[in-house]
Order: sequence, then C-alpha cells, then structure tokens
Amino acid sequence: MTQEITKHPKRFDYKDIETLQRYMNAQGRIHSAQRTGLKARQQRKLKRAIKYARFLSLLPYGI
Amino acid sequence: MENKQYAYQVMFLLDNEEVRAQGFNATRDWVRTTLEKHGADVKVLRLWAEQALAYPIAGRKRATYLMGWIMAGQETVSATKREMYLLGPVFRILFLREDEIPEDELGIGIEDSDIDVPEEIEEEYIEEYITGSDKKKDSEKDSEKDSEEDSGEDSGKSKKKEEAEGSASEKTPEPAVAASNEKE
Repeated sequence: MTQEITKHPKRFDYKDIETLQRYMNAQGRIHSAQRTGLKARQQRKLKRAIKYARFLSLLPYGI
Repeated sequence: MENKQYAYQVMFLLDNEEVRAQGFNATRDWVRTTLEKHGADVKVLRLWAEQALAYPIAGRKRATYLMGWIMAGQETVSATKREMYLLGPVFRILFLREDEIPEDELGIGIEDSDIDVPEEIEEEYIEEYITGSDKKKDSEKDSEKDSEEDSGEDSGKSKKKEEAEGSASEKTPEPAVAASNEKE
C-alpha cells in the first residue's frame, strides 16, 4: 500500500536535501507521481531539483 | 544585438586540496575574477558548505561548496564553465536562471570566511585493515570448523560422500570410451 505525502513544500530547492529525500526510496529512486501525489508540473520540478542535487553530489545516483 | 542580463544562482563545487593549499579567500577571488572577466556582475559569493560528498569525485570524498548570485548574459555562462573546467580546481558548476536575486542574499555580498578544510583520512587503509583482519578471523573460524568436522560425526558423512563419488565415477564411463564402445 503506497502512502501519499500530504504536506508539500511551495518550492523544491536542490539544496534542501532532507525534503528531497522524502520523495525518494532507499535505493535513491524518485517516487512516482501516484505515490507523491504531486501534480505533473510539481513532479517535474521535484525531478529537476533531485537531478541538480545528484549532479552536485548532494544526493547519490543510486545505492 | 544587445546582450541581455539575467540573474543567475551559481554553485561551484571546489576541490578541497586546492582550497586548503591556496586558502578559501584566494580561491573565491579566483572564481570572482574569472566570472568578471567574462562580463558577469558578481553580487554575492559566499561559502555554502564544506561537507562529505554523496559519491566520490576524482578520488575526493569531501568538497567545498561556493555559492553565488550574479547578473550575466547567456554567453558568460558557457565561457565561464569552459574556462573553469579546464583551468580551475572546480569539480562541478551549476548555473540556474532566476527571476531576481533575493534580498537576504544581497545583504550578504562577497563574504570572507576562514574555514579549516580537514585533510581526508585515507580510509582505504583502514578498510583494508578491517577487511584484512576480518578475513583472518574468517579463515580462523573456517579452520576451526574444519577441525570440528573432521573430529565429529561429519567425518563419517564425508567418507560416505567420497565412496558415493567413487562409485559414480566407476559407473559412468568417460565419453571417449563410450564412443569407442558404440563403434564396436
């Protein structure tokens, strides 16, 4: 059973690692929009923020 | 054509070795002069963090993050990246175009900071030592187990297995021999 995150931030920042990690699983993969409960535009913004963080080695690409 | 200026948030990932050797302020000044050389107006440049990396880059496990806000044209971005990746102690550069520079950041400006960049502990040796000692322990445990097996009841089982294997080898002829039998 998937659990939706109820409180989302207004804006996804690549520097806010703790928030971004809530939207990732233990293997470092991004949760689907069905699971996050985000609208398409917000899901894209989340994806972009996570990818920036990965590029800067703030988050791992995979574990 | 007029070169339009945009606000950019910039993040640099700097090599700790260089930061330690030259000092943070000198490295920051080098970044600033490089940006200004390519026509950027540097509003903010400050230390964001010195922390462990999520994955090693060029053999380094820690790095220094330098954050800045600049006003620049599009050509500045590519030219700065090109030069910095070629010459500088920079692992990663990220330019993000923003609507405006936040007032909190503008208040900081170009900030000096005295950080002590810690030297990287050569963990490989530690890992090797640990794994080596583990291996030793494992090998000792294995040898103990073997000795127990030999002395215990399992010795009978092993003998039975050997006997079974021997009988199996007798029963199944070698392929070359079998082929010769078929010809006959």
